[in-house]
Amino acid sequence: MQLHSRVFGRGIAALLCASLLVSACGEKKAGSEQRSLDFARLDAFPSTYSVAQSRPVLIQDATLLTGTGEQLENTDLLLKGGKIAKIGQDLEAPKDALVVDGKGKWVTPGIIDVHSHLGDYPAPSIESSQDGNEMTSPNTAQVWAEHSVWTQDPQFPLALAGGVTTLQILPGSANLFGGRSVTLKNVPGRSVQDMKFPGAPYGLKMACGENPKRVYGGKGTSPSTRMGNVAGYRNAWIEASNYKKKWEEYVEKGGDEPERDLGLETLAGVLNGDILVHNHCYRGEEMAVMMDVAKEFDFQISTFHHAVEAYKVADLLAENNVCAAMWADWWGFKHEAFDMTEANIAIVDQAKACAMIHSDSGVGVQHLNEEVAKAMTAGQRAGFDIQPKDAVTWMTMNPAKALGIDKQTGSLEMGKMADVVIWSGNPFSVYTHVDQVFIDGELMYDRSDKKRQPRSDFELGILNAEGERL
Amino acid sequence: MKKIAVFYALALGVLTAGAQAQSILIKGGKVHTLADMGTLESADVLVVDGKVEQVAPSLNIPADRVIDAKGKVVTPGVIAPISELGLVEISAASGTNDHAVTGESIGSAFNPVPAYNPKSTLIPFNRAGGVTSAVVFPAISTWDSAAVEAQRVFAGRGFAIKLNGEFDSVEAEDVAQKAYLGEAGAQLAGGSRANAYAKIENALNEAKEYRDNRAAIRLGEWRELNYSLADLEALQPVINGTEPLLITANRASDILAAIELAKTYSVKLVLLGAAEGWMVAEQLAQAQVPVVIDAINNLPISFSSLGARLDNAALLTKAGVKVAISGPDYASTHNVYLSRQSAGNAVAHGLSYEEALKSISTNVADIFSLSGGTLEKGADADIVVWSGDPLEVTSYPEQVLIEGEPQSLVTRSTRLRDRHLKPSKGHEFGYRN
Repeated sequence: MQLHSRVFGRGIAALLCASLLVSACGEKKAGSEQRSLDFARLDAFPSTYSVAQSRPVLIQDATLLTGTGEQLENTDLLLKGGKIAKIGQDLEAPKDALVVDGKGKWVTPGIIDVHSHLGDYPAPSIESSQDGNEMTSPNTAQVWAEHSVWTQDPQFPLALAGGVTTLQILPGSANLFGGRSVTLKNVPGRSVQDMKFPGAPYGLKMACGENPKRVYGGKGTSPSTRMGNVAGYRNAWIEASNYKKKWEEYVEKGGDEPERDLGLETLAGVLNGDILVHNHCYRGEEMAVMMDVAKEFDFQISTFHHAVEAYKVADLLAENNVCAAMWADWWGFKHEAFDMTEANIAIVDQAKACAMIHSDSGVGVQHLNEEVAKAMTAGQRAGFDIQPKDAVTWMTMNPAKALGIDKQTGSLEMGKMADVVIWSGNPFSVYTHVDQVFIDGELMYDRSDKKRQPRSDFELGILNAEGERL
Repeated sequence: MKKIAVFYALALGVLTAGAQAQSILIKGGKVHTLADMGTLESADVLVVDGKVEQVAPSLNIPADRVIDAKGKVVTPGVIAPISELGLVEISAASGTNDHAVTGESIGSAFNPVPAYNPKSTLIPFNRAGGVTSAVVFPAISTWDSAAVEAQRVFAGRGFAIKLNGEFDSVEAEDVAQKAYLGEAGAQLAGGSRANAYAKIENALNEAKEYRDNRAAIRLGEWRELNYSLADLEALQPVINGTEPLLITANRASDILAAIELAKTYSVKLVLLGAAEGWMVAEQLAQAQVPVVIDAINNLPISFSSLGARLDNAALLTKAGVKVAISGPDYASTHNVYLSRQSAGNAVAHGLSYEEALKSISTNVADIFSLSGGTLEKGADADIVVWSGDPLEVTSYPEQVLIEGEPQSLVTRSTRLRDRHLKPSKGHEFGYRN
């Protein structure tokens, strides 16, 4: 993950400059404040997410899956000031702490779904709410998924009840370049900015294969083939390289400020290492081609999504530090999804590449623990020694890496965001429930307390004018 | 010489498989009979000639083959209540799809059996997931403008298969006629649910008219009817009450409309969808209407299913409705075996364990009058030996018997897994099996 750390580190640094440390960054760049290479534009729609003042939480005597490869029995976990403060035995409860008896319960980091369209394809799904695919040109790098998010999508609270604390909302896959993704904390928000994960780099959605060629080939325009797809990517990267060069020259030498171009800004952000590439790509061959395109233009692909054939090129993924986000068992809905093996995630993992589960589904996102359980079982059946302590990383730590937020969340480690799920038992049982979910130490969901179960605006007065939807 | 040897080997194989009165003893498993005997913590199951001969705590009877099931769980095979197995290979490759047709007058005559392909890759895959039988239904793509223009509210005739992959694996034809009410029906009937209702009514009325005046109609000495004779013939078992009418509806009010329609025409109704079934569970129970539900779908994904919830199966069962659980919507074609994951989730939300097992086997057999679904004397020996609790996603089938025949659990998925288990450079992988 060395390359990743480098790229993601840059993303975080840029963000810090944009929001928290404006003056400090400005000072460093004394004399050139007006001229920066801020292609990511992290301050354009800034995160207004805030951590509510939360009381400390002490979870006692639980089984912890840390997300760092460990399973700790009878262990306490202390959440304080929105962070994971301590992990150990017999921890003392601070004054006013919420103390949770964790006996028989399991604790994991909050689940991170790296591939979601919640808000952009909300429920109910009607014609007027199909806001996830700007299907008007093969390159719509200029659109941002966050500008489509309906924050009142009732699928968000359902995902929370499944233990999902963070999601990446991606634009759809009709285009070679679908636009920018956004990473959200799964909290109620009146605006999308209220949900934006502070410090998370942006992603760029790209798509290989059948989708773009079908959508545009069907209209008699390019691309209509896979080679047309690749030509489309390369042309765009050439343009983006020129755009980036123009801006670099401007920053260095001054002169007239170049004209801004939203689409090229996003691509240049990728070339700059500030925006992460999330590439919908099913086939092994195509993943190999995409990694070569990335080499040609000197950028890094963060993650292949829907990577049904990742297992065929798992060694290449490891070599190139590219993650793969996969389903446990979806297949056959199109030809590029035909070569499915249930051992996909396990094989990629065992080849030392960064493997993870993803949902792309309003139902699946509620059961990512079960999906991981299936993938873990398939791995064991393939002969690999994969235990819950290992498999949990497929829904916590590895998606955090893919999103460039692994310094802040994804594992139960001191100082990290207190994004934590308490399960009624082993999370890899179909009968296990999510009992409680904490986000930044705040109790956001409690199965036993209706008052701590968020309901979107949509739920009110539905089916029962004086009550809730269900 | 070589050719001859192969010939003899093949002939011998055929002879041994066909002529032998095979007996199999499955020993020492936890057996869910889903019949009068209930669950036996440890029991033996004797299979003779493809049928269950005996289930008892201990059987000391010699058998041609003994399967050690100690520490394992034995159940009837999973039966998928709604699938497109053998009719769809790759959903987005139209040449491999035979489940839907457009442009025919009403659709009730459509019988997809001649298109059924028992060699489809979906069959071994779902068999390895524990599915031994499935009901296969035609469908109408409601998003397809051609289908919508065709204004058909009937999809056609369903059939049942065994998942042994044999050319003679169609178990029963005309197990039910499928039609659409509710939101999908409205789309197909020009824009309103009411018109979908009227279209079904009209068809049933004409079917009756045809039944009562068959000779005259066939001779052309009758008024011109809207529907073809083939369509009206296909509806005869429906109006006679011998073949169920499977109607899709999710909204509670649509379900009530379907019940009303069935009552008026004395039709044996089965509901498909029923996301808001729990709201009218009493009425469903009273009318003795069974339901086929997607028990894991709790999304208010349309205004027809605003009441979708995870305890739908539990609430319906509690009210006395017979419930069958299908694979989740997103996997109903290729992964119908996931009905067991849905059933597990239904248990997590209040359905009793035994009812959950029945909802993916016994109840399906009852609803569509199929064999299988129980382990009792005389039942088809469609049996799965599971590594553990069959509703757990971490369990898997270790043995699958269909009509007493042990089935291969190899699939394309396991073949691909084994070939690429340790991916490496070069071209040698192409020579691996």
